[in-house]
Amino acid sequence: MTADNHAAAGAPGGQAAVPAPGFDLEWPGTLVYSPRLALKGHALNKFALSLRRPENRQAFLEGPLAYMDAFGVSAHDQALVQARDWSGLLLAGGHLQAILKVAATIGQSLWHIGAHNAGMDVQTLQRACPRVVAGLPGGMR
Amino acid sequence: MAAIIGGIGIAHTPSMGMEYDRGMRQGFDPRWAPWYEGTRPVRQWLAEMRPTQLVVVYNDHLNHFDFDAYPTLALGVGHSFRQADEGWGRRPFPDMPGAPEFGMHLATHLVRHGEFDLTVCQDLALDHGVYSWFPYLADAPWDVPVTPIAVNMIRQPLPTSSRLVKLGRALRRAVQDWETDDRVLVVSTGGMSHQISGARFGISNQTLDRYFLATLPQGLDALAAIPQEDYMRFGGTEAAELALWFVMRAALSGQARAVYDYYTFPQITGCGVLAMAEPSIESSTESARKETA
Repeated sequence: MTADNHAAAGAPGGQAAVPAPGFDLEWPGTLVYSPRLALKGHALNKFALSLRRPENRQAFLEGPLAYMDAFGVSAHDQALVQARDWSGLLLAGGHLQAILKVAATIGQSLWHIGAHNAGMDVQTLQRACPRVVAGLPGGMR
Repeated sequence: MAAIIGGIGIAHTPSMGMEYDRGMRQGFDPRWAPWYEGTRPVRQWLAEMRPTQLVVVYNDHLNHFDFDAYPTLALGVGHSFRQADEGWGRRPFPDMPGAPEFGMHLATHLVRHGEFDLTVCQDLALDHGVYSWFPYLADAPWDVPVTPIAVNMIRQPLPTSSRLVKLGRALRRAVQDWETDDRVLVVSTGGMSHQISGARFGISNQTLDRYFLATLPQGLDALAAIPQEDYMRFGGTEAAELALWFVMRAALSGQARAVYDYYTFPQITGCGVLAMAEPSIESSTESARKETA
């Protein structure tokens, strides 16, 4: 599933019960952060991690496109940032902990990223958490 | 000779820190009050243990390091360690004191004798991996020096569980070769079950977390033999951080015993704490308690 149709799959809040998480490690359930993703997202992460400094957060907010240009962020990834397409940014190699700095800078939180990933609104996700599962690895049974 | 007197395993999350600040200002959110209450006994026990050095095994969340150079294992050596700005600004806490001589000894011993090729950091900003739980266990300003060991838990490949067990054992030998009367307490911190991205966001496996807490004191080998991928499948990707707890357990002797544990699941991360003491130390603490009673 691509980021686009995943995001489009978002259901309006409160309609269907939120399904319990499964135990596979595949997208869209999970994105294991691999060296391949790290290579792909190097410029994107460098930009995002620059926002650890308050003066950089200010500069980004004042001119996001010029700011991202200076870090060599691709036009594709810049569009994802502008669209707050958190799922797309993770698939572009943005590490969650780096993309979280972008969310923080524009006044969003981990919940916005999670809700976008899970295809639901923030309130629905918050109501669904904790999403309790009970399976155990073979070594614990 | 210095001795390891005990250890703590404890979860960390950004919200744990933010809820502490809010809780101290205006009372704790009902979801977080149990964690505050549940960590009070550890705080008292820690004070009674009178450690003179803390070794803290944690993971950075791209708040000090970045992918230009992300070390698998790094050790901080310095007079103090700053709090990292994670994007929201710093919380109102001071720097943590360091112990450069002890830190240099550990780094030298771990490289030469333990054969751990550590990255040595003379300037290391600590993020919520340390700052989120620390205020629950001790009031600032803090006086016991901290030596942080940062372990990569954010990008594959992660160090293996068996490697982290070996790190704990090597750390024990390094402390035993430190020619002072230091009382060293080892803290390992990693979130328990949680996943904060993907459609599995918010996964909560309290059965797994409780099993882990109950088993770690006498079952290190069995827990370390479970593939890290299984922790990620059943507890969420970030449950891999439980492997950090192996360092603490392996740094203690086989005779060490659990003196306290507590578990709750406030929102999106399993929050557990485990305190362990070496028997000789435990009895001296108890006798001191009897004398003052």
